[in-house]
Amino acid sequence: MAVRRITIVAAVLSALIAAGCGSSSNNNNSTSSSGGSSTTASTGGGSKSCTASIGIEAPLTGPVAVLGQEQLAFAKMAIKQDNAANHTNIQLVQGDTQLTPSQAVTVTQQFVSNSSIVGVVGPAGSQEVEAVGPIFGRAGVPFISGSATNPTLTSSGKNPTFFRVVSRDDVQGPQDANWIISHLHPKALMIVDDQEVYSTGLVSAMMPIFQKAGIKVDHESVSQKVTDFSSLVAKVTPQTTVVVLPWQVAANGEQFGKNLAEQHKNATIVGTDGLFSPSAFTIPGSYVSSFGPDITAIPSDASIVAQAKVAFPKFGTFGPPVYAATHVLDDAIATACKSGSPSRSSVLSAVKATDESTSILGQPIKFDSKGDLVGAKWFLFKINSAGKYQLVTG
Amino acid sequence: MASEDVRAGGLAGEPKDPSPAGLQDPGVTGPREPSVGVDEWVARSAQRRTYAPGRLGDAQRRLERVGWWPRLLAVAVLAAVIPQLGLNQFQLQIGINALLLSILAVGLNVAVGWAGLLDLGYIAFYGFGAYGFALLSSNQLSASGIHLQAWESIPIVMVGGAILGLIVGFPSRRLIGDYLAIVTLFFGEAFVEFTNNVAPSKLGGPNGIFGLDPIRAFGTQILTNTGYFYLLLVLLVLSIAVLRLLDTSRTGRAWRAVREDPLAASLMTIPVNRVKLMAFAFGAMVAAMAGAVYAAQQTSVFPTDFDTPVLILIYAGLILGGAGSLAGAVLGAVVIEITYDGLLRSPTWAGAIFYVLILLTLVVKLRPWRRLAGVLGGTVALGFAAHAIAKAISASAVAGGPQSGGIIHDALVNWVIVPANSAGNIPTGPGNAGFIVLIALVIALAQLRGRWRTILMVPTLYLAACVWEMRLVGTPSTTRLILIGAILIVMMNARPQGLLGSRRVEVV
Amino acid sequence: MHFFVQELVNGLTQGALYALLALGYSMVYGVLKLLNFAHGDIYMVGAFIGYFVLQWFGGPGALSAPVPIVILVMFLLASGGCGLLGVVIERFAYRPLRDAPRIAPLITALGVSFFLENTALLLWGASYRSYSTSSFISFSTGIHAGPLQIDVVRIMIIVLSVILMLGLRVLVDRTSLGKQMRAVAADREAAEMLGINVDFTISATFFIGSALAGVGGVMAGLVFNTVYSYMGFVAGLYAFTAAVVGGIGSIAGAVVGGFAIGIAQSMITGYVSSTYTNLLVFGILIVVMLLRPSGLLGRVQLQKV
Repeated sequence: MAVRRITIVAAVLSALIAAGCGSSSNNNNSTSSSGGSSTTASTGGGSKSCTASIGIEAPLTGPVAVLGQEQLAFAKMAIKQDNAANHTNIQLVQGDTQLTPSQAVTVTQQFVSNSSIVGVVGPAGSQEVEAVGPIFGRAGVPFISGSATNPTLTSSGKNPTFFRVVSRDDVQGPQDANWIISHLHPKALMIVDDQEVYSTGLVSAMMPIFQKAGIKVDHESVSQKVTDFSSLVAKVTPQTTVVVLPWQVAANGEQFGKNLAEQHKNATIVGTDGLFSPSAFTIPGSYVSSFGPDITAIPSDASIVAQAKVAFPKFGTFGPPVYAATHVLDDAIATACKSGSPSRSSVLSAVKATDESTSILGQPIKFDSKGDLVGAKWFLFKINSAGKYQLVTG
Repeated sequence: MASEDVRAGGLAGEPKDPSPAGLQDPGVTGPREPSVGVDEWVARSAQRRTYAPGRLGDAQRRLERVGWWPRLLAVAVLAAVIPQLGLNQFQLQIGINALLLSILAVGLNVAVGWAGLLDLGYIAFYGFGAYGFALLSSNQLSASGIHLQAWESIPIVMVGGAILGLIVGFPSRRLIGDYLAIVTLFFGEAFVEFTNNVAPSKLGGPNGIFGLDPIRAFGTQILTNTGYFYLLLVLLVLSIAVLRLLDTSRTGRAWRAVREDPLAASLMTIPVNRVKLMAFAFGAMVAAMAGAVYAAQQTSVFPTDFDTPVLILIYAGLILGGAGSLAGAVLGAVVIEITYDGLLRSPTWAGAIFYVLILLTLVVKLRPWRRLAGVLGGTVALGFAAHAIAKAISASAVAGGPQSGGIIHDALVNWVIVPANSAGNIPTGPGNAGFIVLIALVIALAQLRGRWRTILMVPTLYLAACVWEMRLVGTPSTTRLILIGAILIVMMNARPQGLLGSRRVEVV
Repeated sequence: MHFFVQELVNGLTQGALYALLALGYSMVYGVLKLLNFAHGDIYMVGAFIGYFVLQWFGGPGALSAPVPIVILVMFLLASGGCGLLGVVIERFAYRPLRDAPRIAPLITALGVSFFLENTALLLWGASYRSYSTSSFISFSTGIHAGPLQIDVVRIMIIVLSVILMLGLRVLVDRTSLGKQMRAVAADREAAEMLGINVDFTISATFFIGSALAGVGGVMAGLVFNTVYSYMGFVAGLYAFTAAVVGGIGSIAGAVVGGFAIGIAQSMITGYVSSTYTNLLVFGILIVVMLLRPSGLLGRVQLQKV
């Protein structure tokens, strides 16, 4: 009825306009808008003179929430640690992208409009970086990703404020492929991608090398949402001795291994970073290559490991690089604070000048002019019969 | 009860106001609901005769005499003022998203609201438009690429979209209802699979296509969010105008006839198949146009941008606003976008929405005023009492303050119980347990009546506030989705026909 | 030949799970004409209940009771818990919308789905949980005929699904509750006038459908090992597809539809290409629907004028 319609429309519109006008003033004092995480972040906080915010863009909900929540847990740990060590008051603002570029753009606009955010950790996917790089560039906000490995992100020049603490597909792919050829000598292998940018990038880097070495390659593809691989495993012939799984979700790799055992096939699984997880992927006899060391085996990381076991027990390969990235930003903010209040440009130059001799990743952190990590190390692990990770090279 | 009947609007007028689930009395079905067999036209015309008494009624009658077109222009002018209010980039982005969602909802309304066809593959048209524009405005297809101007590429994309709409609508010749829905769903899913896995060198694969030209025409180009806002506003007004003309023409009447009863319509010489195809084609054209502008604004397209979650959002907007009504589609889309993408992404606003919605529901639904006052007063008193008792028992039981910031924090710091362990962290155990108990209490509330219901409301409200402060504020992204799920459930129970929809009689 | 049988068994396993879920969809659709998009999330809850039962008994590596007892308890608790959950959801979210146009409960179902998925994320976290079935049911049991390897868990699932479907058939055809369900599905108002307690019948339908979904969830955990809060989303989509392709409202149709999709997926992955599996399956299903517009076993719908 007409009365009701007009009343409803008027009420809703006025509420929205009030919200709109209210939020424009709200965004300028964002210390209240970072809400929940302030408890964990400010327990170490000392002097209020160095106050800033860091945003984190990750898939916190959605089908790959397992990756994003791990990244969030490690970022929170890093901030707590650094607030205590540097006497800063840095807070974390969460932004959920569900690994879709369009949501990444919305979250990025939110961070860019929030004047207290001076640096961002993430986004997690290479395709998201492609979508948001120019926006961050225009706003001059540095953003460091712990998992975007596509080479074009730094070579295209479209993302001037982008940095990453992991190595690139065009470096990791050939390294892994050459190692497999020289150490495992397969005559036939199967390589399966999970239809994500990370996976297809590695596959296209590795396939030519295998083909040039005369190995018979069976290229398969499966969606990340599939959790049963028995149909694929049935295609593993007796001559196939190696299966390469450049996947992001370690639990899927574990299931693939179980399917192999179930059908009594003897292929060796070689996984890349995504499969690195001492708690989720433990198929004996497999190899995993990773851009980060096994932090559970490094004595100096013992306290971080202890905290991680509480916050996110089944962590794998996505947490530690985000810890490193957050740490870089925290130190950059602390440096910028020394010469006054931290601003986006001062934090950006501090990040560019980062020179840490050691980090949770077991290597120094320094960025080249394009934003890549200088001298990114590469670690290879073998899983022994007890399910434990043993370093082979690295 | 003659006076009640008149007030309610005659034979089968407005039914008793359906309340949100939890406060409704399921045992009583009012005799005033539109029921199968009663003439819908008579029911609606009876509604039209009810105005508010006095000056308000005079104002309503005068407002109704204002034509449809001046109303559209007035809303458009109001919307055009919005970017001038000094909004930041994020708010402009939300505005752009809201306008895109409105255009999509308006296009979907043609197939779902007017023609009654459940089109679950609508997102494929949006994606087609975006990819079409991307291929025509980038270096993807060849070294130098194709770089058509917008006034060339967008019509091409729209025509392509219409053709795709005809293809997708083709099964509607043989399939009806949910069977048609599933086939359109296949098309929608197939589009994402196609763009992700087929011909990666031409279509980009999971890498997508990026580096697109912005909208360029006649020497100017649109580079700022404000520019895109105005462009989308113009496109939305144009779409609404064209669709309104269609709706009030023979085509619109044919759509409505096919929706209500396809057999009778075909007996009345309406070409049912052609009408259904037209519905698909027009919806697809609108979606393709929206997709092209979306691609230009994002300067990139990826397969995952056109997956099921976006389809869910469009449907939620359309149905929440009222399927079958253009104004409803726009209102629903705007409300959903601003709430879901804009407000709920910020923890302070999420808290505000949470508390305001609870209070609003109480104020609107709880009568008489004594009862409302009793419940609110009781909750406040219970809170202070419980907090004091808990503090007396153990200091760590209230050591964590409410996790919200700002005014809410200061107001609630002595009211909610938020435990903290010795390291000052808030443990998740009590929060999880409290959440489960809260859900159980709300369900119990829905089943109770009378005095016990009023009494149970008090601890439920207090527990809701505690769980919010203890657990839900700390995980803003998960809370956002939980809240939107709850809002959808409650809103559809409160007003099943949507905000601006009209109650329809469905012959099943 | 062995390859064919292997792929067939894989397809039957996956198909059995789709069929169980599709049954619940079909039953609910039959009585309420409602597409319950939250059905897949009830399956997810069932899988989690099974996981927690495993943990309660000491974890997959160190069970404190014999394996058949543990599995029995998992099935019972999951089916009971999910059945209750389904009844609560129906009471709370769908009952007020019983007379509304059919498109309104669609959004409510989506809301329930969001709510369930993210409540699971909130309460149980994002990490994938694993049943680690191979720790308590070893791979050496089962059929081993040379290159043909079929695990006992898969056999159990296929057999159990068939038993459950037959049991459901008996329930619907022979018992008085089944007769009430069929009556309510045919014409709700007439059934009410005949003295049938419609509310109870609909609640019973939801209970049975959701219990089946819960059992399906435990089975999925046993054979696929991984359990996480979004696993219901994709499964629900496929179950909906299976129910409609088989002929919505028809129990035999849901079963046929489920198995057909499972086998199609498996065969196409094995023989054609894994990259285009989903595309080809969708293509085949579109063709099937065009050839048989009311689904494989659906009844041609009479249209009232």
